Amino acid sequence: MSADADSDIATETVDSDDADAAGVSQETVPDREPDALLEVRDLDAGYGDLQILTDVDLDVADGEYVTIVGPNGAGKSTVMKSVFGLTNLMGGTVLFDGGDITGLRPEDIIHEGIGYVPQNDNVFASLTVRENLEMGAYILDEVPQDALDAVFDRFPILEERESQKAGTMSGGQQQMLAMGRALMLDPSLLLLDEPSAGLAPDLVDDMFDRIDAINDDGTAVLMVEQNAKEALRRCDRGYVLANGKNRYMDDGDTLLNDEQVRQDFLGG
Amino acid sequence: MGISETYTRGRELAVTRPGSVLLGLVGVVLLFDLLVSLVTGTQSLSGVGSLVWDGLMRGLVIGLAGIGLSMTYSILNFANFAHGDYITAGAFSGWATTYLIAGLGRADVGALLLVGASGSVFGGTLGIGVTGTPVAVVAGIVVAGISTVLLALLIDRTVFKPIRDEDGITLLITSVGVAFALRYLMQFVFSSSVRGTTAQPPSLSLYLVDGAVRINAHDIALVVVAGSLMLGVHLLLQLTKLGKAMRAMADNEDLAQITGIPTERVVRAVWVVGGGLTGVAGYIFILWKGTLGFNDGWLLLLLIFAAVILGGIGSIYGAIVGGLAIGLTASLSVIWIPSSFSRAAAFFVMIVLLLVKPEGLFSGRSTA
Repeated sequence: MSADADSDIATETVDSDDADAAGVSQETVPDREPDALLEVRDLDAGYGDLQILTDVDLDVADGEYVTIVGPNGAGKSTVMKSVFGLTNLMGGTVLFDGGDITGLRPEDIIHEGIGYVPQNDNVFASLTVRENLEMGAYILDEVPQDALDAVFDRFPILEERESQKAGTMSGGQQQMLAMGRALMLDPSLLLLDEPSAGLAPDLVDDMFDRIDAINDDGTAVLMVEQNAKEALRRCDRGYVLANGKNRYMDDGDTLLNDEQVRQDFLGG
Repeated sequence: MGISETYTRGRELAVTRPGSVLLGLVGVVLLFDLLVSLVTGTQSLSGVGSLVWDGLMRGLVIGLAGIGLSMTYSILNFANFAHGDYITAGAFSGWATTYLIAGLGRADVGALLLVGASGSVFGGTLGIGVTGTPVAVVAGIVVAGISTVLLALLIDRTVFKPIRDEDGITLLITSVGVAFALRYLMQFVFSSSVRGTTAQPPSLSLYLVDGAVRINAHDIALVVVAGSLMLGVHLLLQLTKLGKAMRAMADNEDLAQITGIPTERVVRAVWVVGGGLTGVAGYIFILWKGTLGFNDGWLLLLLIFAAVILGGIGSIYGAIVGGLAIGLTASLSVIWIPSSFSRAAAFFVMIVLLLVKPEGLFSGRSTA
């Protein structure tokens, strides 16, 4: 009897959820991003008293691949750090997966399903490869074997070098380890800060291919890149940032072919 | 041809690393001098053996106490000058417990709790020792560890945590202030007298060619306690999640935070582990040397700093090896120079070794 009652309640709950979800998506149809995963609105942020960003808006949809390009000092990395709670937020909101994460600390944001790979010093040099990956899953009670296997499948070199100290690996391998560490929690959004920086030219393409593969498997990617042309070619959508403000936003290819963008930001 | 090659290589070494060559020469001269005095009978082989054993014991104390200093340095990025007085605090709290348990009913409780301040009770009279009063000693070790943990956490919460983001010099100077406050608080409570704490422990003699090396029960206790704690720290850092997080944080604190490691909790754990080791080191130091005074930790701190810097500050293995090196140097130096210079010799060796290998024996700040 009681079991029946329970299942009735369960069914009802599911039904009402479906109805709600349908209602919400209908209401938001006019919006360009009905399934926005990350929504940044009117963001003002900087370091200490120094304001870098003014009124920055940015969206990343579920499973989307978005890049931010722009000249040096445009505030590209600052956008990313602001999403991850590493800057001084002065205004605006950051919504993730429907919840407000504005002003949360990094150790809380990581619980929400965002992984962040900083540009420099992004591995624990004195720890082994395996220990680095274990640290990536620190917030879980146990190291998830399936996530570890998935990372080793994606980057076989890491399995080969499992017990090597991270600091003794090449730049490209360290970059893979840094991504692997961020993927240990299977985040729904991966923030990548200049993943091609400091890599030998022949490795850059390989790195972009790997990022494509991560995105193809369903992880949304928000990437900052110096290598603007290649980044725009690869991504779904791009933002051009200058002086801490939004300048252009469009499909990657459209931006690539836009005369003004080419002249001002892509070196002709 | 062979000779000229050897000559060239020797010349190269002399030009590129004159320090190493000079150091090697000094070593040869000292060794020769030792051999001569052994042959002529001014030194006995067993005498040298006793000095080596004594040096190893000192080295274990310095190394164990150095681990805590090195850990807090690598994770909090400052040299804690109050560390020596944590040692003394651990010693007093532990010995008060030991006196209380060993002397309950035989002496005034107040006098026991003050560890026989001003000669009111004597450890020797109470028969304190590993074999005489094992329960009191074990309880003392435990209390020394726990109370030093509590002291370290209390001082961190009230003094160091509010200024955690200041630079290392600010923290260092603050810790000097904490050191003075603690030391003279302890002097006020326990008096400035240096008291004997133990009865003569039983010992055994190992015969070595021309005489005996005496090893007493407290030496053995020191080896067992220090050895097992060092092994414990090694296993903690290498095998446990918390230990790996400590190493990760020592390596790169910003990245640790981004990775989701709760950095404040790790800092607390470092004070717990470091404080516990320091307190126990303080207790067994006193057990081993048999006297206790309010300046003991402070005087030991200079040797601990020498050991930790020699080993490469931030590395716990460096602290252990550095401790043994400093302990052996201080003890063995009396073969060649008057014993009042033995501390100076330890520092001299530290300076010379750092000139040859500036980054320390175990370079880098990795706790690993």
